[in-house]
Amino acid sequence: MKRSWGSVGLMALVLCLSVSWMTGCAKKATLQEGAVVTQEQKAVAQAPAEATAADTQAARERALRDQALSDQAAREAAEKAARDAAAKAAKDAADQAKREAAAKAAAILKELQIADINFDYNKYNLKPLAQSTLKSGASAYLKYRDYKLVVEGHCDERGTAEYNLALGEKRATEAAKYLADLGIEKERIKTISYGKEMPLDNANNEAAWAKNRRAHFVIFPPVK
Amino acid sequence: MMLEKYLCVHNPRIQAVLTLFLILLFSAGPACGKVYIDIDSPSFQQFPIAVADFKPLQPFPENDKLSLLFSDTLSRGLALTGYFHLLDRKAFLEDPKQAGITADNIRFEDWTVIGAEYLVKGGFQTDGRDLVAEFRLFDVIRGELVVGKRYAGKSGDHSRMAMQFVSEILLALTGETGLFDTRIAYVKKSVSSAEIYTINFDGSDPRRITNFNALTLAPRWSPDGRFLAFTSYKEGNPDIYLRNLESGATRKIGFYPGLNLPGSWSRDSKRLLVTLSRDGNQEIYDMTVENGLLLRLTRDFSIDVSPVRSPDERRVAFVSNRNGSPQIYIMDADGANVRRLTDLGGYNTSPAWSPKGKKIAYEGLVNGIFQIFVIDAEGGDPQQLTFEAGDHESPSWSPDGRYLVYSVRGYGRSRIEIMNAGGQGTRVLLEDKETSQSPFWSPHLR
Repeated sequence: MKRSWGSVGLMALVLCLSVSWMTGCAKKATLQEGAVVTQEQKAVAQAPAEATAADTQAARERALRDQALSDQAAREAAEKAARDAAAKAAKDAADQAKREAAAKAAAILKELQIADINFDYNKYNLKPLAQSTLKSGASAYLKYRDYKLVVEGHCDERGTAEYNLALGEKRATEAAKYLADLGIEKERIKTISYGKEMPLDNANNEAAWAKNRRAHFVIFPPVK
Repeated sequence: MMLEKYLCVHNPRIQAVLTLFLILLFSAGPACGKVYIDIDSPSFQQFPIAVADFKPLQPFPENDKLSLLFSDTLSRGLALTGYFHLLDRKAFLEDPKQAGITADNIRFEDWTVIGAEYLVKGGFQTDGRDLVAEFRLFDVIRGELVVGKRYAGKSGDHSRMAMQFVSEILLALTGETGLFDTRIAYVKKSVSSAEIYTINFDGSDPRRITNFNALTLAPRWSPDGRFLAFTSYKEGNPDIYLRNLESGATRKIGFYPGLNLPGSWSRDSKRLLVTLSRDGNQEIYDMTVENGLLLRLTRDFSIDVSPVRSPDERRVAFVSNRNGSPQIYIMDADGANVRRLTDLGGYNTSPAWSPKGKKIAYEGLVNGIFQIFVIDAEGGDPQQLTFEAGDHESPSWSPDGRYLVYSVRGYGRSRIEIMNAGGQGTRVLLEDKETSQSPFWSPHLR
């Protein structure tokens, strides 16, 4: 098998060489023809009338050729314009769709966003206001079932770091349970506690503390 | 000559020095040098001790500064222990040129007459970067050597040598080795993260241990000194990690859904009490670190957190809000026999069991401010140890049980402080604008 490939290669080489040799011959022939043409031109110069007729013919042909060429260019330009227009339209449509999708997604996110709920000092029971916030917030999650959420539990700066991590988790869990009771599947709700480590307001007063004792809701859109 | 020049240039200082000298004279006068200060027994007397400047042990000394560096470092180290009353070197009568550093060429009367009971002397010799130093502790009343050591090292080792000899002095006089081979781990918060640091007991050599750019909390040093357990949010969830302090490697050891918090190691550094919420609620488990095996200790639908073992490992103290407010409870090592320890005050947390086993330190709310308390582990009346403004939190015992380290924050500042177990002798270990918190005392590291 190897051998036969070798012989084919050899043949191919021979073929190539012979072709190039023949091409070399052809070039010489062309040169000779060129010499003949020069002689013909001399003859043409000697006969102007014949030449005019021939010129007219050539010009007509040239015009025809030019016409054909410009027609073709115009055709191509038109085609390109049409293509561009189509592409632009498609792109515009896509952009528009994207814009609409983004607007829709933003609208959905807005619908899904639950406001922070607040807790009393050292407590994790849901106050009536928190319950009504969760009730109105849950409906969007029943509508958009491929969205998930994380409930963050936070505490104010007073008290032990570790105890507050547990307290923050209790707050998150209470809110998550309430949402689950409202019909959001448990698998769609995660909880995490940050204890007192991530206050909203660093001030050292009751107003800041009240703001910091919170459950915060983070929406997770479906992964495409 | 040099002294005069020094005094002229720094006029305010001379006043300060004189004032200090006068105070020392007056305070030392009536009490005859015996100052009674509670270290851990009510009748402890500080040892009056003199530290002489060190002598170069070669005819043409290469480094004069070492003479003072040795005596200053020793003095600072001895003062830090709280056991010593350091005599002012201006009161020294001895002629340093005449006296030697061995018992046969020291006039002990020169020292007894100024009130010293003990004397530290030493000498050093350098050869390029090599340094050899001799340290001797004398009992000047008996006129004899108590302990002598010779250390060889590099020129930068002088302060380590001095601290090592402070430990030798402590061992010789108190039977304890002191704390110069201990460090304190703590959490330093910044705007968006918190990292673990460690610092020497004397406040030197702070080092950053973690660099996760994430919330990292609750450092717990293993009793063998080789590991730090802590919780970090570096992968999102609060998981427990173990840092090998020798290799620098970090391993994730507790990563259940929800909270994963380290509590307290076993003496053999093999098991770790942890708080996990994997079963839906914060419960305490005893985790075998090597294989993650869990033994569940609490079963209560309330917060159970911050477990700490008794030194004999028979009991566990922890925080629970099972009766409403956060309080400290004690249970047997298997979770049985739960009883409430604290009942005064509405918020008692962060229990720390003393190494000798008798006491539990914790933080409690008094008039809206957290203060450090100790209570007998068998129950009884708590004793309040801190009274200043600012929240005093997270007490942790020194391995010898003689000191407590804790954090103080308020007015935009935070400090880590050390006091003796009776609540006296407060010393600021570090102070900063960032929130340094959750100090944890290491075991002996040598």
